[in-house]
Amino acid sequence: MATTSASGTEFSGEIPVSSEGVGEIPPGIGPWQLAWRRLRRNKTALFFGGLFLLIVVLCMLAPVYSHQIAHAGPADGFPDKQIHVGGTTEYVLGVTGIPIGPTWHSRFFLGADGSGRDVAVRLLYGGRNSLEIGAIATIITMILGVLLGVVAGYLRGFSDGVIRFGLDVLWAFPAVLLGVSLGVSIAVGGLGPIKGNSLYVPALVIGIVYIPYVARPVRGQVLGLREREFVDAARQQGLSHSRIMLFEILPNLASTIVVFMPLILANAILLEAGLSYLGAGVQPPNASWGTMISDGINSIPAAFHNVLVPGIMLVLTVMSINVFGDGLRDALDPRAKVRIAH
Amino acid sequence: MKRYVRPLAAWLLTAVAALAIAACGGSSSSSSSSSAATSSAAASSGGSSSGPINVVVGTAPDSLDPGFGYTTQAAEADWLSYTGLTTYAHANGQAGGQVIPGLATALPTVSADGKTYTATLRPGLHYSNGAAVKASDFAYTIERSSKIPWGGAGQFYGGTIVGAADYAAGKAKSISGIKADDATGKITIHLIAPYGAFDNVLAFPSSGLVPSGTPMKNMPNSPPPGVGPYKITNVVANQSFQVVKNSHWTPIPGIPSGFSDISVKISSNVSSNALAVLQNSADVFDWADTIPGSLLPQIQSQASSRYSKKVMNSTYYVFMNTKTKPFSSQLAREAVVTGLDQRAMSRLGSGTLIPGCFFLPPQMIGHPTGQCPYGNPANGGDLAKAKQLVKQSGMAGTPVTVWSETRTPRQQWMTYYTQFLNQIGFKASQKVIADATYFPTIGSLKLNPQTGFADWNQDFPNPIDFYLLVQGSAIQQTNNQNFGQVNDPHVNSTSAKLGATPGSKLASIAGQWQALDSYLAQKAYIGVFGYQTFPAFTSTRIDLSSAIFHGLYGWDWSSLKLK
Repeated sequence: MATTSASGTEFSGEIPVSSEGVGEIPPGIGPWQLAWRRLRRNKTALFFGGLFLLIVVLCMLAPVYSHQIAHAGPADGFPDKQIHVGGTTEYVLGVTGIPIGPTWHSRFFLGADGSGRDVAVRLLYGGRNSLEIGAIATIITMILGVLLGVVAGYLRGFSDGVIRFGLDVLWAFPAVLLGVSLGVSIAVGGLGPIKGNSLYVPALVIGIVYIPYVARPVRGQVLGLREREFVDAARQQGLSHSRIMLFEILPNLASTIVVFMPLILANAILLEAGLSYLGAGVQPPNASWGTMISDGINSIPAAFHNVLVPGIMLVLTVMSINVFGDGLRDALDPRAKVRIAH
Repeated sequence: MKRYVRPLAAWLLTAVAALAIAACGGSSSSSSSSSAATSSAAASSGGSSSGPINVVVGTAPDSLDPGFGYTTQAAEADWLSYTGLTTYAHANGQAGGQVIPGLATALPTVSADGKTYTATLRPGLHYSNGAAVKASDFAYTIERSSKIPWGGAGQFYGGTIVGAADYAAGKAKSISGIKADDATGKITIHLIAPYGAFDNVLAFPSSGLVPSGTPMKNMPNSPPPGVGPYKITNVVANQSFQVVKNSHWTPIPGIPSGFSDISVKISSNVSSNALAVLQNSADVFDWADTIPGSLLPQIQSQASSRYSKKVMNSTYYVFMNTKTKPFSSQLAREAVVTGLDQRAMSRLGSGTLIPGCFFLPPQMIGHPTGQCPYGNPANGGDLAKAKQLVKQSGMAGTPVTVWSETRTPRQQWMTYYTQFLNQIGFKASQKVIADATYFPTIGSLKLNPQTGFADWNQDFPNPIDFYLLVQGSAIQQTNNQNFGQVNDPHVNSTSAKLGATPGSKLASIAGQWQALDSYLAQKAYIGVFGYQTFPAFTSTRIDLSSAIFHGLYGWDWSSLKLK
């Protein structure tokens, strides 16, 4: 059983491989079906998977909430407006700039921020942006990481040297530092057709930053796979390198890719929040949970909700992805069958 | 047993790594900022009377080199470290606006035609590096500030001193209008035309003498030697610097030698800065920052004896680029002035703004007494009329980039302004850049910024100081202060004419300044959104009985001492 240690990454220490050699699989049940059976038994993972799905759905409904319920856009500030709450009339921002707290009504349900904007609306739009950036970044990381890892591991030699050097250079920088440097420099002047304040900027930056975290372990696993009999057989049959990589190696990496995706997604969302907090991610007036926390810092202690609400959402989202991701890994990891058997 | 080996090894490895990281972090911080460690140690002792005074500022100075620095954070340190031929009285409030002799033996004598200033350098002066001061250093200093250039160079040097503009443009090897005799210490300055505030020009930190031969470039991290009771050391860009007593200082009447060294920490989180002062872990909150409204009630209840609001001559406004669409159209500019809700801006600014529409602030001679041309700002903006004006201007849908600093509430102001521009028919987006680089960035003529935040705190109590920002002659390629590139012949000629009047006779031309300022408001060249009040907030460690809050520079650091 070839398990490749992903030493040096922030992620899981063990990379699952295909279910080859799993003798205890009941007849007629494929590895994916087996994984699904294991996942169904993990109620905690399913609960957090459901929670994540709920958060996604809520965030996707942000425009509906904004137009039909709150009647305010995510960038609309009402510093000088008065609203009626519980029979009293209050300014959204007080004379000294203190924002109104949660009203538990349709307007300013979770209160206002320091610019007089509806926190609930920004929370949902911020979640949308954070998830969107996280998803795009994950796709970029997975595509490029897997591609580079497979090419480097399979071809070895010069190609491996060049790719590994590039990955080592990226790896040498702390993720946040690299993200801030890239984010700030691209945010000022944009990048080709991408404008500086576009959401694609942080997505691209995060996507690039995490490439080594996927490419290196994938490369390590491919180094093992390329020596296996089925790859030798494919070579003997005269298949080209690209066909072998695409149709022989890649399918055997499927479970690795599936396990890595939630981990990358969770880390991408966290990094986006960090970059946005530092001003190198989502640019104002766009909302993200990171920018909301950053904006809310100056409202403490009078309006603690401005930091607490996006903070809780961030924790719940990342935790739900991580717990679900752990469940997914357990389900796909053949060693888990021991626990199932018990 | 074997199954525990790997986890155990991992834990051990983690622990060792953590210890190593902690050790590295500790050594780096202690070696790089021993002063900060001293400061925090002193600060944490609460009522300790030893150690430096800790000042927390929200924005880094644009440069601590007097040949470039022009923000309040730079001026606070520079005016104590770079004394000019004249300087300002160390006195509270507007009394601090009085010009007194600095490195000159007396205030310069002025010729009958008002075009020749003569001063004599005091003997026995030394720079902070021990070198002797020469009269010719004055000429070199003005040349250096013109060349770098300092933000006011085009107007205050190029526009007033004979040959300064040619020198700055590279057409001359020296400024022909300045003659200095090292033997006698006599300095003669020839002006293009009489300039009533020239004594004030000589008092700028940019006119504070630096040694001949100092590199002709901005040196923000290693400011040149100067002559003053203090010197600037240990500059860590965007983090901290120190202003310490200058051992080579020769006392000059009227300029106190100071009590304590000053340790300045730069942190953009003004909320934590205010909390640090409230809890006595820092001593002075930078007066140019705004205390977040969320902390004001706490500060007012717990620290009422050490917190007050100060009114200084300052105007907060949005600049509008008169050379570029859409604000090349007067109707588009009128739309902004008509519709912008100053009440909302005030709330966003923790209630620290006094509404107004004129460029000259209320306490400045020349502030108009008449009605605002586009509605009373205290009543809020007229959004409907603003939309109509944008339609009339034909500029609806024009893309606009709004430039903004990051710090609170300036970013919030510009976020609201961006939203407002979109409401009245423009297609606006906000561009936020770091505080420390904001003004040098928007001061680049090449960038040609459309609109954004700007403010002006008086350099000296004379309307001509504010008109630097709207005079055509002040437009320069870099470090430009006339962000809107206003170049109106009437404003240029009238302000030049009024600027010739000596400061002592300002009251006699107050009406003419009022007329000019009304004209400026009528043309809507700038969008004033209020006059700022500033927080004077210190820790309990500061002896407020001797502390001076200066009319131009805020806290006079040389007057601060621990109880």
